[in-house]
Amino acid sequence: MARRDADTPEKLDVPQGTLELMILTILDREPLHGYGISQRLNVLSHGHFQVNPGSLFPSLYRLEQDGRLSAEWRPSENNRNAKYYALTASGRRQLDQQKRRWERVSFAIAGVLEGA
Amino acid sequence: MTIVHRLASIVSWIVHRNRVEQQLDDEIRSFVELSAAEKIRDGIPAGEARRLALAEVGGIERMKESVRTGRHGALLDDVARDVRYAFRLFARQRTFAAVIVGTLALGIGANTAIFSIVDGLLLKTLPVEHPERLAQLVSAPPEDQQSWTYPIWHEFQRHAAWFDGAFAWSGFDSEFNLSSGGESQFVNGVWASADAFKVLGIVPTRGRLFEPSDDIRGGGPGGPVVVISYAFWQSHFGGAPDVIGRPLTIQRVPLTIVGVTPPGFYGVAPGGSFDIVVPLGAEPLLRGSESRLDRRTSWWLRVFVRLKPDQSREAATALMQTLQPGIREATRPPSISASAEGYLDDPFVLVDASRGLSGFRSDYARPLLVLMVVVGLVLLIACANIANLLLARAAARGHEWSVRLALGASRGRLARQLLIESLLLAFMGAAAGLLVAQWGGHVLVSQLTTDNFSLDLPIDARLLAFTAAASLVAALVFGVAPAWRATRRPPIDAMRDRGPAAAGAHTPMTNGLVVAQVALSLVLLVGAGLFLRSFDGLTRVPLGFEPRRVLLAEIDARRADLAPRERRATFDRILERVLAVPGVDHAAVSITAPLGAMWSRRIDVSGSKLRSTDAPDVGPEGFGFTDRPIPANVPLSMFNGVTPGWMATFGTPLLAGRDISTADGERSPRVALVNEAFARKFLDGANPVGHTIRPARPASSPPIEIVGLVADAVYRDVREPTLPTAYVPFSQAVDRSLVEDTTQTAPAIVTLSVRAAAGSPGRFAKSIVAAVTQVNPTLSLTFEPLDGRISAALTRERLLAILSAAFGFLALLMASIGLYGVTSYAVSLRRIEIGIRLALGATARSIVRLVLVRVGLMVASGIVAGLAVAALLSRFVAALLYDLAPGDPATLAASAATLALIGALAGWLPARRASRLDPTVVLHDA
Repeated sequence: MARRDADTPEKLDVPQGTLELMILTILDREPLHGYGISQRLNVLSHGHFQVNPGSLFPSLYRLEQDGRLSAEWRPSENNRNAKYYALTASGRRQLDQQKRRWERVSFAIAGVLEGA
Repeated sequence: MTIVHRLASIVSWIVHRNRVEQQLDDEIRSFVELSAAEKIRDGIPAGEARRLALAEVGGIERMKESVRTGRHGALLDDVARDVRYAFRLFARQRTFAAVIVGTLALGIGANTAIFSIVDGLLLKTLPVEHPERLAQLVSAPPEDQQSWTYPIWHEFQRHAAWFDGAFAWSGFDSEFNLSSGGESQFVNGVWASADAFKVLGIVPTRGRLFEPSDDIRGGGPGGPVVVISYAFWQSHFGGAPDVIGRPLTIQRVPLTIVGVTPPGFYGVAPGGSFDIVVPLGAEPLLRGSESRLDRRTSWWLRVFVRLKPDQSREAATALMQTLQPGIREATRPPSISASAEGYLDDPFVLVDASRGLSGFRSDYARPLLVLMVVVGLVLLIACANIANLLLARAAARGHEWSVRLALGASRGRLARQLLIESLLLAFMGAAAGLLVAQWGGHVLVSQLTTDNFSLDLPIDARLLAFTAAASLVAALVFGVAPAWRATRRPPIDAMRDRGPAAAGAHTPMTNGLVVAQVALSLVLLVGAGLFLRSFDGLTRVPLGFEPRRVLLAEIDARRADLAPRERRATFDRILERVLAVPGVDHAAVSITAPLGAMWSRRIDVSGSKLRSTDAPDVGPEGFGFTDRPIPANVPLSMFNGVTPGWMATFGTPLLAGRDISTADGERSPRVALVNEAFARKFLDGANPVGHTIRPARPASSPPIEIVGLVADAVYRDVREPTLPTAYVPFSQAVDRSLVEDTTQTAPAIVTLSVRAAAGSPGRFAKSIVAAVTQVNPTLSLTFEPLDGRISAALTRERLLAILSAAFGFLALLMASIGLYGVTSYAVSLRRIEIGIRLALGATARSIVRLVLVRVGLMVASGIVAGLAVAALLSRFVAALLYDLAPGDPATLAASAATLALIGALAGWLPARRASRLDPTVVLHDA
């Protein structure tokens, strides 16, 4: 889906199934709008992950529909109206769950890689 | 997240879809603005920043689509949108939608109608408690006897505790007369043993059902009782709540109504019905001297048992076979000698009775299955037509599809849209089809009333499931091809001008559909041809008499105030009076009449090679109604006792010797007339006059001299070869083979046949009632025109012929419309080519040929395929044909010729139109 620019070969695809985890993690600190989320993701991943709105929005909408996120329209820092997403209680539980899961997965993968 | 929560959120997303879409738009806009603002902050010029921001977002429509499809309930949402879109489309193209829905309503309706009858008659179990535990007592094949005598039932009943109960239920031939004289008013009655309702598990709607004391001989302690059916309660008593305890007079005996059976209960024979049920014990009261309770030769009861929950049918059968020798011996008919091993060893068998008696089932199973196949084929042909219509429309909508594909719609989405349209059409057709089916089913069932046939056709879950399945299959059959076709189109077509450029590509598929239609139509035409010719053959069977001028009146003296010894004299007086009625040409009284009861006797004929002492002792012998065949190697002959004038009444010519006359009285030497079939069977066709007949049973029967030879005439069934028949004088007819008590001068039931000098004989009914009433007002009378009786006997063949012809015609019509449509369409696609040909000097004739060759190829391949299928399928209808081979070449040829002719016509019209194209106009338009 995501079109890769030829001049930024270091950009990585967001690993399958981790986009939601990253969105939840970012929103755990403070409510943000879609553009803010994509920017924050870019910065936190040291520019490696650039998520395309085409993948971001479907995830956001599904998380909202599932009740993990709540959303409200309010003026942004530069006075533009934007839709801010915030974690709900259920979203926080989901984050904890996914985080623990990810830790176990990465621990397991690290173990495999070191043992080899 | 609970399911409920999720469902609620799906619903809210669908309900608020517009708001959500609006929000998504806003959000994307805000994303672009924020991104652009940041880029401007980084020093990029405003216009460039905005362009870059938009590029970052990518295809907005595609993104929106992935948001939509990403969320839960998206599929449902899409389907709902497709449904709405489809309905808008149908509203725009009303004629198109109406034609398809109408075609489907007919096709699915016909299928549902036939299925409702098939289901009611062949598939459903009896509406009783645990029908799967019911079993019926029969004798093992080949005898396959289903009916038993009362003495056998009486013996058997004593062992009912070996099962969860047993009961007897009379088969057919139980018409009860409600009137006390004059013309009979019949109700359809059943004799049943005390436990019948208890074993079946029937709960009364009103009152009570039978108790053991009701079944005591001569009626219970409170007098004889009767149970009436729900329908009879409604029709005869208007559903009166106080019906319990009221008297109902039957055969001039007052019975007390004790209960009403529930509405859905029709007895033990699907397709059958009853008005009243009378305990077996009351039979002697109603039938008087004709009571069958002590007769060891009257086979009239069906016997059923209910198996215990853990009892297998095999175990129960084994149990019963231990009883068999005892029961058989205790109830042996006097005519069967004690050493007759065949009889005593003929084993009792229990067969599954969960679907009730097979009477109507075995009569109608095959015709119904044939009709089911026929209507299935009609539906297929209809589907082929609809598929062609949809394909033509898909070509017209091709531009729309290309645009949608180019805009990023997936092929799956488009195919789904088309399939949903097809499904909607099919379901609308099915809904209308249910109405057609209700109406059609009832019309069909009412056509069968001549057989006392009644069948409820409720719209139940089974029927709805069938209809839904039929419409689903139909939708798939006619919807898949257009859907597949539409999505094969390359998006680049959107760039091209709208036009028929790509449409030509679908002709192989439409051609294939038309060939299939032609093939299936041919199959139906062959079927229709076979059944029509069969029926036509039956109506042309030389009957040996003239049915149109004869009226039959059955005189019933069973409950009349008439001593048995006075019967013959009374009948003679009635005959005298009837003969005096103006316009009556001839009249005769007889023991039986054509297509009525059968009276057969085992005989020896002087000079015959067939000898009763050598021949096996099998085949139907005696008096009654039976379908059993008469083996050629058994010396059985049909008999009838007739008064002088019978031959003149029926118009059966005397070929040799003399007719019976009044001189052949009770005390004169016994004489008989025999027919040609008799002479063929017993005397190899030699002149039988002067030969002697000796009845084998009873041994004391006096010899009968054959005095005349008459032409063959139908005795029992139009479909069978004429049976060997002997006609004896009515006054000499009565002996032990007809009545057990020889003081009776005539049987209680006789037929009076009246021949009109001219015109219809029906008008004599009144004069006959008057004549009979003058002689004895307590006699009962039933009228039936002879041609009516014959036509009723051919109901099955007539129905099959009419229905298969109607469906064959429908198929032909649809195939010709399909052929016409496809050819017209092909011609319209080739307008330019044809215009050029004409401009270059092609003659009109050559253009017609060009088009017709194509049509001819399609029709010819359809006919070849159809003939192959027809040859295969027609073997299954062989049993339904009369005097016709299933692969009858004349029928095949005629069907193929009809189809070729219709095909040529359907192709010729567009061909002629093509040949009249004006090249200048066509080429100018192009």
